[in-house]
Amino acid sequence: MLKLLLAKELKLTASALSYLFIALALLAFCPGYPILLGAFFVCLGIFQSFRSAREANDIVYSALLPVPKADVVRGKYIFCVFIELVAFAVTAAATLVRMTALSDAAAYRANALMNANPAFLGITLLIFGLFNAIFVRGFFKTARDFTKPFIGFIVAAFFAVAIGEALHHIPGLEALNAFGFEHIGLQLAIFAGGAVAYVLLTLLSERSAVRRFELLDL
Amino acid sequence: MNVAEVRGLCKEYPSFRLSDVSFDLAPGRIMGFIGRNGAGKTTTIKCMLNLVHPTSGGVSYFGLPLVGNEDEIKPRIGYSTGAVNYYPQKRIRDIVAVTRTFYPNWDEGAYREYLEFFEIDEDKRPRELSEGMKVKFNLLLALSHRAEMLILDEPTSGLDPFSRDELIGDFNRLKKRGVAILFSTHIISDVEKCADDIAYISKGRLAAALPEADFRSRFGAAGETLEETVIRMERSAANA
Repeated sequence: MLKLLLAKELKLTASALSYLFIALALLAFCPGYPILLGAFFVCLGIFQSFRSAREANDIVYSALLPVPKADVVRGKYIFCVFIELVAFAVTAAATLVRMTALSDAAAYRANALMNANPAFLGITLLIFGLFNAIFVRGFFKTARDFTKPFIGFIVAAFFAVAIGEALHHIPGLEALNAFGFEHIGLQLAIFAGGAVAYVLLTLLSERSAVRRFELLDL
Repeated sequence: MNVAEVRGLCKEYPSFRLSDVSFDLAPGRIMGFIGRNGAGKTTTIKCMLNLVHPTSGGVSYFGLPLVGNEDEIKPRIGYSTGAVNYYPQKRIRDIVAVTRTFYPNWDEGAYREYLEFFEIDEDKRPRELSEGMKVKFNLLLALSHRAEMLILDEPTSGLDPFSRDELIGDFNRLKKRGVAILFSTHIISDVEKCADDIAYISKGRLAAALPEADFRSRFGAAGETLEETVIRMERSAANA
């Protein structure tokens, strides 16, 4: 049934911007740019689908389908995770290219901002987790109002970007911005932390959103 | 076994209270659910679909409580609410292509039949339909999965008299196939044409839920139409 709900999201509800903004994961290639904003733009694309869903009365339509009410929430989460993981795959591929074929490129060597490496991927996942926990969960408080949850996500995402950009300037943490596969251990630790945060934030917020939605009058 | 049993539905809002609504619907019966705007018809129907949580009371279908059995019950019921505009930018054929996947009992033959009957163009988008055609599109979806019960909120509002008459004829055809229909309306003449049972709600209270003949004999005066009876009852309630 969740497969059907994902198909419904992709065919009926999703805004074209959700797909187009996946391409912004390629911002990982931009030197001299805060590349973590790529994850923010991917989330902005998903946000557009929530907006078009509201305009299309999608939540009521879905609640009337022969599915448990909780699956309406799960369908939205699966859609978000799908877009996030596709975007993450693009980001990871770009990161791998930067870490190998382009590791000696002058533009990246002179880059004062965050480099594309496993630590960057970890914080990317953290930003996706924050989107699920703050925006998606917040949306299901009313299933209509998304302004406050999205503002909450913007604030949290910019803190995450700022922390990501600041960490490697702290003495002792320079290795977080190392090139190629140097100091990969510390970077992998940040990646693992981001991945765990993503899974926990997504799973816990999904449960909370289901509880909220079950209590909601449509 | 009754198709639907509504028991003691109550719902409290700051400015409105639905009080102790109970009625049954048997297979192959048409129940007209009447009352003026704001009387509680839509709230009752939304409670029956688990879109609104009753403060107390509950609904069973086919002997099963709705809560906890939605995936089993919902394929067996069809629902349509007036002219709500779902996915206004999508083509009707695309909306239907997705919707049918959720119904194991989807009847493509019935779908084609009603598509022709309602004269709906699959290549149109809901935003291009008139209000009446939107009602028909919602009905088309409700009728295409062999539902054993139809819950229709104001299905005839917005339809021209000819379409209303055709639709009521269709209700009677469905009834002969054993389909139970609950339809809310404030157009009493539509109820007179097809309802076996009448549930009349006023100010959030169910004043009566009776077979149509019993309703007339209990509340009607000699020579009065059903509409005149209901208007008189409504006026008495307002003056009480």
